[in-house]
Amino acid sequence: MTADPGHVRVELREIVQEYARPEGGVVRVVDGVDLAFDRPGINMLLGPSGCGKSTLLRLLGGVRPIGVTAPTSGTVLIDGEPCTGAHDDAVMVFQRYANRPDLSVRENVAFPFRFGLWRRRVPAAEAKARVDQMLEAVGLAEKAALRPAQLSGGQNQRVALARALVLKPRILLLDEPFGALDAQTREEMQTLLVKLWEEQKCLIVFVTHDVTEALLLGDRVIVLSTQPARIADDFTIPEPRPRSALWQRSTEATQLEERVLRQLHASTGKGQVRVSV
Amino acid sequence: MSSDQLSDPDGIMWNPYLELRPRERQIWGVIAVFCVLLLWAVLSGGGFVGPAKLPTPWATANALVTLSWDPDRGQSLLLTATLWSLSRVLVAGVLVVVLGVPAGVLMGASPRINAVLSPLVDPFRSAPVVALLPILVMWLGIGEAMKIAFLFLGSVVYLIPMVRDAVLAVPQGYWVSPRDLGATPWEAVRHGVLPMAKPRIADAIVVSVSVMWTYITVAEYVNAKSGLGQLIQNARRFSAMDQVFAGIFVIIALALVTYQSMTAIKRRLYPWEAE
Repeated sequence: MTADPGHVRVELREIVQEYARPEGGVVRVVDGVDLAFDRPGINMLLGPSGCGKSTLLRLLGGVRPIGVTAPTSGTVLIDGEPCTGAHDDAVMVFQRYANRPDLSVRENVAFPFRFGLWRRRVPAAEAKARVDQMLEAVGLAEKAALRPAQLSGGQNQRVALARALVLKPRILLLDEPFGALDAQTREEMQTLLVKLWEEQKCLIVFVTHDVTEALLLGDRVIVLSTQPARIADDFTIPEPRPRSALWQRSTEATQLEERVLRQLHASTGKGQVRVSV
Repeated sequence: MSSDQLSDPDGIMWNPYLELRPRERQIWGVIAVFCVLLLWAVLSGGGFVGPAKLPTPWATANALVTLSWDPDRGQSLLLTATLWSLSRVLVAGVLVVVLGVPAGVLMGASPRINAVLSPLVDPFRSAPVVALLPILVMWLGIGEAMKIAFLFLGSVVYLIPMVRDAVLAVPQGYWVSPRDLGATPWEAVRHGVLPMAKPRIADAIVVSVSVMWTYITVAEYVNAKSGLGQLIQNARRFSAMDQVFAGIFVIIALALVTYQSMTAIKRRLYPWEAE
């Protein structure tokens, strides 16, 4: 990216988001959220499933193409400027990785460089170097010629992550990226994400409904109440990563976990959270 | 068969998901064809049905040989007719693909274009296209233009909705993901959605070109001057039922070869689809 990667500022001001129900009436999914991120770091958006986290995440990248056309009211500011369309410096990774089954791993990682936007921004030689480097970083260099069907679910999600990071985004939005993986693979991916972030520091906003994941990865944890989403809690965790199993059993960690669960239970309603271990 | 076999508690005799060995499948196929041939031979050869209605298998084979090479005139009627029919199918096929695939893709990629065009296209899928033949004759005359147009119409009304559905069947993620990575809408369709739809578009092309072989005879009955349809029509006029049957067999064989070779090409092009 062209801008200084260390500088990033994303702000949501009094965001309200409503959707029209197909059968009539409206449903409010986000209700008056103010939120600001002003430095690179891993930020966890934690809330029960279906609480409006994903909607909020989409708004953080400007306005994403599917589901949300614009916030019903409120402003999204990226680097201090109001943002009304998908922002080029923000990239999103979903739980469903959408790798092209007909392309090799390498071609999938290099996929964005097929688009005019990235061909203009990144010279071909640099794009190639970045793809090589990223394949190495996610541990898929030897599988570069394989097709997605020949990989495991975790490896496919690595491809999706590599495809996003190869663009060196200043804002990386992750929507439950490891939600569909088994416990062991999820742990591997969490470790990998921390490693990748150390190498390429950007503003990560990571949506999860897994309390353990939030405490394991987050510099900052933002707890959301159930629909409509409001901010129920917002705290930082100074403990450096990688966070050991020992830390996870420490008083500090268990107190944080109880604090989060109390908040989540206090907010009325449905939705599920997960606590592993 | 004993009652034990009929009840078949272990599902050995009857299991819908049983994978037959290729060898066994072939044997059943050969048996079926042989039974039909036998029935045909008994009915025609045994004098149950007269030769004006049902020629014997050997008379049909004989007709096939005669049509393949006429030593008196030193030419092959069958080859000439086949080439005529083949080139008509080819021309109409190219037109169907060149015009029909983009139309279907546009309909699949844009709900508005689909809303405009689908009421114009979809009803024809179940409409009797053959009934349009007289209209085409009025508009285009009885020459090649009419024949090509008829083949084109009969086939394109199958192709367009199938191509549209192929595009619509692509999971939304293949649109969202490229859009999210900075692709323009057109780039997202081209690099995300279309490649995923291609195998099913290929299926649509295979089916709609195969359909043409069912329409070719109808197209060639009118102003019959050349082609397999004319060959059959001509033979019928002289009550040469053996030649009618021979002509029909050739069309069936051509349709089969077209279908099989197109399917084989498709499998070569999209090996990832089976994974």
